Amino acid sequence: MATEYASPEEYGLADLMCCAAAREVQDNEVVFAGTGLPMVAIMLAQKTHAPNLKLIFEAGTLDGRPPEIPTSVGDARCEMGASRSSGLYDAFSIAQRGYVDLGFLGGAEVDEYGNVNTTCIGDYLNPELRLTGSGGNPDINSFAKRTVFIMAHEKRRFTPNVSYITSPGWRVKKWPGGEFVHRRELYGSAYRGGPSAVISTAGVFRFDEQSGKIYLDTCHPGKTPDEIKEMCYFDLDISRVNGETLPPNREELHIIHEVLDPEQIFVPMVKKG
Amino acid sequence: MSISKRITLQQAAEIITDGSSLTFSGFTIWRRPMAIVFELIRQHKKNLHLIEVNGGSHTEFLVGAGCVDIWESCWVGHELYGKYGANVSRKVGNKEIIVEDYSHAEMMFRFAAAANGSPYAVTQTSLGTDIHNPEYDMLGRAGLRDGKRIAKHKYQFTEDPFFGAGSQVLIPAAKVDVAILCVQQVGEEGTVRVNGQFYSDPEVARAADITIVMAEEIVPEEYLRRNADQNTIASFEVDHILECPFGAHPTGMFGRYDVDGAFLKDFYGRTRTQEGFDDFAKEWIHGQDHMSYLEKLGWSRMLKLKANTALNYSVREKGGK
Repeated sequence: MATEYASPEEYGLADLMCCAAAREVQDNEVVFAGTGLPMVAIMLAQKTHAPNLKLIFEAGTLDGRPPEIPTSVGDARCEMGASRSSGLYDAFSIAQRGYVDLGFLGGAEVDEYGNVNTTCIGDYLNPELRLTGSGGNPDINSFAKRTVFIMAHEKRRFTPNVSYITSPGWRVKKWPGGEFVHRRELYGSAYRGGPSAVISTAGVFRFDEQSGKIYLDTCHPGKTPDEIKEMCYFDLDISRVNGETLPPNREELHIIHEVLDPEQIFVPMVKKG
Repeated sequence: MSISKRITLQQAAEIITDGSSLTFSGFTIWRRPMAIVFELIRQHKKNLHLIEVNGGSHTEFLVGAGCVDIWESCWVGHELYGKYGANVSRKVGNKEIIVEDYSHAEMMFRFAAAANGSPYAVTQTSLGTDIHNPEYDMLGRAGLRDGKRIAKHKYQFTEDPFFGAGSQVLIPAAKVDVAILCVQQVGEEGTVRVNGQFYSDPEVARAADITIVMAEEIVPEEYLRRNADQNTIASFEVDHILECPFGAHPTGMFGRYDVDGAFLKDFYGRTRTQEGFDDFAKEWIHGQDHMSYLEKLGWSRMLKLKANTALNYSVREKGGK
């Protein structure tokens, strides 16, 4: 099918983010999925440009090919068509062994080095709000070659100091002192990479390999680099902006809404006028 | 065959004494032993130490009811139906419970170590994160690291002595008193057959000193032994068994019934406050037994959740709408 991009009134922000996330996947990669929008993005990639990707669900499905979107990674739908239905020990062993190319993750806060917090807001010892906790976020981020974070963009979430480093970015704490070092120094021979992109509701961000610092790559349609810079508490590098985030094409929208998520559990449908 | 392993729901809960450490089958909102969890709440258990690969709705019930002193895990929430654990969040904020954070893989490897009799596991996950912040060793801060059931240290760092692979984290085996499992089938002698993803069930069953298996159905042991390659846990790893249909509700069970999303949304929405939790428990737990609970849910609700036997999930229910 020829690429036919949808016009702005045909898609919503969740569609745009989902398609941007799907484009991070390359064919034949081993991809680790968490619950939510990441599952839609990966399965979209599986049904478009990456039919040979190997999908791992954290709860224990290896090379899954679910026909429709599971409600969570523990769902019965996960293992339909899978190479193996197993458990968490296998899923994490495979990740630690180095099989995983790409993982999709979420976060409540991110700093300019890609450290992500999903544990608490405020002082850990006296939290203002306790969140879910780490789940597999730090594990996938430690073991995968690349990780992509999908986040709601609010200024307070893009902060120079996250309340708690749940998941390791490019410059991380060396214990017992807690001084920041490049992750390469800590991970030794287990070093394989780190966060490669953040896809927010405002734009797509990437990380400089040398400095480990975040920069703005593309703005979602309707947003300017200056506006996005203003939406971060850290000093966002906007010198490398590469235009606008590509909109979804009609085939992608069809697959998201007619095949993967017709119940609109993860991706709401934009009302057509 | 030796003496019967069959017990009742009430007897299962009685095995868990105040102050016990406890773990469960399942994953977040799937295959959690809810009928026993509700019975633990009815029996007013106190000072429990939950050690879990991951938490979920069952954690929220036990914590909300005041049964728990320590929650040692990595995640709690209701997935799609409640974005975080409101009861854990409230009680850790009020310092009514101690939360000890590990990563998901660390918890899994800690149970794998306990399951094979090792004192600790070694991993390279989560290096550089606040999970390894020495200030955040909460059981240490509380003076509870006696080196008996609770390890002397939260973790230790070491360098790989064999291949020079760099920093390694040593994490203590997850030693637990009781594991409560909720599965599709168990045989009279204790052989367990889990259908679908088995999550961390084999490891938690083996790690615990006492393993209780609540099944949708108790089946003839010889039926399971005809296809031993399909079984998940060996007979002698299981101490007690009981049959309890829909025992995982409101969590889901592969091939049997889906997660009751509407129930979990209601629970999450109503239990942000202690008063809200107490009200919910009064409605659904206290003064009920499993049969009256199912009657209260009603046939139409249960049939909506019932899985299609070819697909293993319900075609009538998706997303709790």
